[in-house]
Amino acid sequence: MTKRVALLRFPGTWSERDFQHAFSLVPGVETEILWHAEAKLKGFDAAILPGGFSYGDYLRAGAIAKISPAAAELKRAAAEGMPILGSCNGFQILCEIGLLPGALVRNDHLEFRCDWVRMRVEHESAWAKGLTGQFLRMPIAHGEGNWVADERVVAQVENRGQVVFRYVDDAGIATAGASPNGAIHNIAGIASGEGNVVGLMPHPERCAELLVGGLDGVSLLQAIA
Amino acid sequence: MKFKAIIHVRPKPEIRDPQGEAVAGALRTLGLSIEGVRAGKEIVVHFDAADLTAARAAVDTMGKELLANPVIEDYSADVAAA
Repeated sequence: MTKRVALLRFPGTWSERDFQHAFSLVPGVETEILWHAEAKLKGFDAAILPGGFSYGDYLRAGAIAKISPAAAELKRAAAEGMPILGSCNGFQILCEIGLLPGALVRNDHLEFRCDWVRMRVEHESAWAKGLTGQFLRMPIAHGEGNWVADERVVAQVENRGQVVFRYVDDAGIATAGASPNGAIHNIAGIASGEGNVVGLMPHPERCAELLVGGLDGVSLLQAIA
Repeated sequence: MKFKAIIHVRPKPEIRDPQGEAVAGALRTLGLSIEGVRAGKEIVVHFDAADLTAARAAVDTMGKELLANPVIEDYSADVAAA
């Protein structure tokens, strides 16, 4: 049966059409772009928070999105087990609204990074099925991708297997140099305790066909098909 | 009643503050002996409330619900009739 995926658009979201295109390459999935204030997720099988600069990143990246009616709708859907994926600014929003632990702060070197990164899939989640131990190569484009949390939360996400993606070097080692932003333990993406909500800084929608340099994004998007 | 709140949002002490570090580096290039810099933001809000207690409660809501992210930031506020 065809799976329906909601792509949420906030003022300043910029990657919803890229997601729409990428999902069009995945058989058995249809998408709809929803304006955040009117987003009703009933009838959808999954939801995406694409990247961008919601509300101009004013106050903090993702901060103002948390007072959108979409926040309550996402919390309700997440509690019902809906697979929800936030990429880049979408990851920042998921942390701000409390669906994922921690926060994303300024890259430690202060630069905006537009590059390709290599990640190791550390644990199973709704958006990374059967990929554990594999390496994925994906593009990033962010200035605030430095995931932080206090020691207790860091230990918790590590011990409970919520670290889904970790930046690694060509040898597959999570070295400081492999991280594009200084994130604690090279964390590139995390999942909620139940594993249905996942956030990551890289852009799976921008590596879903060879024309743009890679196919690894498809492995995530097809997880819900 | 009309109130004015001056709210200061700061990175928590244990959170690294790359912005403060960059400012510190820049200040050192001016030849100054800088030990360290922490950079936050000041947010000034004009608003209505029934009395000072209600105004303080409103500012608490602003701080907790939106202006500061408790994972990485602390805030403090001065509230006074405007």
